[in-house]
Amino acid sequence: MSQTLIDERKLGTEQVQVRVVDSDVHPYPRRGELAPFIPGKFRKLFAARGEGVGNSVFYDPPDYAHASAMRVDSFPADGEFAGTDPHLTFRQLIMESGSDIAILGPLNSSGGQTEEETHALAVATNLWQDNCWLDSENNWHQRYRGSIVAAIDAPDLAAREIEQWAGHPYMAQVLINAEMRPAWGDPRYNPVWEAATRHNLPVACHLGRGQHNELPMSPVGFLSYNHDFMVTYSLLAANQVMSLVFDGVFDRFPTLRIVFIEHAYSWILPLMWRMDAIYAARGPENGLKRKPSEYVKDHIWFTTQPLDFPEDKLELTNALEWMEADKILLFSSDYPHWTFDEPRWVAKHIPERMRERIMFQNSIDVFNLPSTVPALPGQVRAF
Amino acid sequence: MHRLARGREHVVATVDEIAPGESKVVPIGRHGVGVYNVNGKFYAIANYCPHEGGPLCVGRTHGQSVVDPERPGGAAEAREGEFIYCPWHQWGFELATGTTAVKPEWSIRTYPVRVEGRNVIVTA
Amino acid sequence: MSSAPHPLIDASVHIFFKSDADLRGHMHEPFASRGFPEPDVAWFAPPGKKYAPGTANPDGSHQASDPETVGRAIFAERGFDFAILHPMSGGVMPDRHLGAAILTATNEMMAERWLDTGVYADRFRGTIRIDPNDVDNAVREIKRWRDHPRIVQIGLPLQTQEPYGRPHFKPLWRAACDASLPVAVHLEMGAGITHPPTPSGIARTYSQHVSFQPISYLYHLMNMITEGVFEEFPELKVVWADGAADHLTPMIWRMDTFGRPHLEQTPWAPRIPSAYLPEHVYFVQGALDGPGDVEFASEWLRMTGKEDMLLFGSSYPDWQLASPEKLPSAWTDEQREKVLWRTAAGLYGLPAAVPA
Ligand code: FES
Repeated sequence: MSQTLIDERKLGTEQVQVRVVDSDVHPYPRRGELAPFIPGKFRKLFAARGEGVGNSVFYDPPDYAHASAMRVDSFPADGEFAGTDPHLTFRQLIMESGSDIAILGPLNSSGGQTEEETHALAVATNLWQDNCWLDSENNWHQRYRGSIVAAIDAPDLAAREIEQWAGHPYMAQVLINAEMRPAWGDPRYNPVWEAATRHNLPVACHLGRGQHNELPMSPVGFLSYNHDFMVTYSLLAANQVMSLVFDGVFDRFPTLRIVFIEHAYSWILPLMWRMDAIYAARGPENGLKRKPSEYVKDHIWFTTQPLDFPEDKLELTNALEWMEADKILLFSSDYPHWTFDEPRWVAKHIPERMRERIMFQNSIDVFNLPSTVPALPGQVRAF
Repeated sequence: MHRLARGREHVVATVDEIAPGESKVVPIGRHGVGVYNVNGKFYAIANYCPHEGGPLCVGRTHGQSVVDPERPGGAAEAREGEFIYCPWHQWGFELATGTTAVKPEWSIRTYPVRVEGRNVIVTA
Repeated sequence: MSSAPHPLIDASVHIFFKSDADLRGHMHEPFASRGFPEPDVAWFAPPGKKYAPGTANPDGSHQASDPETVGRAIFAERGFDFAILHPMSGGVMPDRHLGAAILTATNEMMAERWLDTGVYADRFRGTIRIDPNDVDNAVREIKRWRDHPRIVQIGLPLQTQEPYGRPHFKPLWRAACDASLPVAVHLEMGAGITHPPTPSGIARTYSQHVSFQPISYLYHLMNMITEGVFEEFPELKVVWADGAADHLTPMIWRMDTFGRPHLEQTPWAPRIPSAYLPEHVYFVQGALDGPGDVEFASEWLRMTGKEDMLLFGSSYPDWQLASPEKLPSAWTDEQREKVLWRTAAGLYGLPAAVPA
């Protein structure tokens, strides 16, 4: 790959077709990089709390002390954390793996102890993205899109933050945490859905790991290992889907688009059957206007990573057909996390009939992205 | 870097260049070949993970967890250094055989290595 | 249907006391005068009917509390040959002594009224109820009943404070294996100590509540796999009695995909997770389960070996009453046979011939 290209940071005039949109990429602030963007009132407080603290991991992914839950080869040479260097992300993900457009989903905005604090972190994270990733120096290639991070537990403040950034040329979605209680059917969240739909922005949620009841907690007590914990984490998303559907959120907001990031997706197949069976058995006792599975197919998308792979690949192919995956999946890599899915590998395992929709077209539609971008000589094309 | 041709013998290092517990990636084939010294015995594997194509030799070598009721936590590490763990998804492979007991159909490519005099020679 | 050459087995019939007073009559003091919930409470009850049409008793006693009425409905009208009874209780009690008193009374009632006497006694098989919060007492209760010829199963609540892989449950699995009895895990009715029913707290609608809760078996199952329960107790068999077997397929793909790297953390469960399913994991197949009457239903049932895990269960007299006629028409004859009797006959030691 051409180092000269990166050093020059100049775009040619030639346009190429977008073939891969990567809907789950994680940028991290370098040490101290976020602090200047934190609203003054909270800057000292956060600094004081952060003083002298260490690692807080529990439910540790494999070999954590050496890998920190990251792709081991994604740490920059300067000793900073994985995902802190926009140029390295560009080289590894866009040039060498062929993700044409990367939707950045920062995860550093959780951890506030009050709604105001969570909101302050969201404000800082948005300013930081704008200044350190989406600016002309770091996004010279125009391949990065950002997320308007919004504190879902402070719906009015979140709506204001959405208003603040809507219309930014590189902000592609609203990003909220998945774990706040209650579930999303609760009308208290209306201002967020309202602001997002007003600006035609999809609302995405990434899984996070909080403390206490936002860990999240299973209904039958704490799991033992990262293995059973991360696998059953999908059930939180399954419950959010049911809440959105049965509480009538999509009837309240007929243009709302929801994206579930990294919650896995194959469970939506039996979940659609189950919701439809309950609907058929109990009738529209919640005032629903349509079958639950129809709301899912029109309003909800799932990112592909981690692509859970069965022993027999034909089973995956069949499941993708039965769930009409071409309507609901968006490719994602999760770079630079250890569960990274390589675009070429994913493309290979998606049935050809669905490949283009899942690898890029659905995302172009959901995130209102361009279908061509300025060419980058030497870039790997994933398929 | 100069690439070496495939399908023949290559002198890749001298024995003291790769100390026990150390390794070296040499530019053979498309992805390179990792040469490992495990307690004085040399092994060579493709620098390519059969799962999603990660750069295998960037990963760490360590042993395998086994049940050991005598140890705190009930587990211990056995056969230290005999396995390579992929830097992406942390799948482990036995350096000597390229395989794992859990899912033998996913195995890595291994190459014959011999030591002649002070030279480590890989057939790849 | 009873003219079929093989028996039909209903693997889940819920039974009840006639009334609160009836239960108290089976209890001794000081517990008989205590306060505890009945199985039917308003909290998260369905907004419509709680029980299937035609299941009410003219004398006002609880549905499915009279063996003859139930026997007639299940055997004479619906054509089954055997029924596995699962007594419903009012919830997990914070006071384990009170909980034990209630469950012991329940087991005694089931034996006296349903299994030892009455015209249908030879067609009924029973599930004894135990409280996982008092393992010592639960083990005693298993030992007490294990030699009863018509006790074929141990019943545990789905709602727990800890998932079933945790080591303090081991004596239960040991006792179940010693007694050669499968363990059925079923949602507890009524009210009692539970964590919030979903990871996001309580649901706003009954539809969401009833859709999510049965799926919670996955937390238990995945935890049991990682903790090596099936490795340590190779004879243990678990029946997830609220169904939702369909979710096993995607979730075990996921479990296997992340199995390989995580195995280094759990050497006590060294196999790929899906290897622990056959011969250990069973489900009651209920009215809300399956893809519906679609062409690929047979293929779906084959995936993950579900065709060898499902046991048809009506959940009589619940509103979710299931009927064999609703099973997908695309299933093969062999699949229907397995689900309607063969797997259950093996699991519960029932004769393969229709009783005279
Ligand atoms: S690429 Fe090596 S473990 Fe996945």
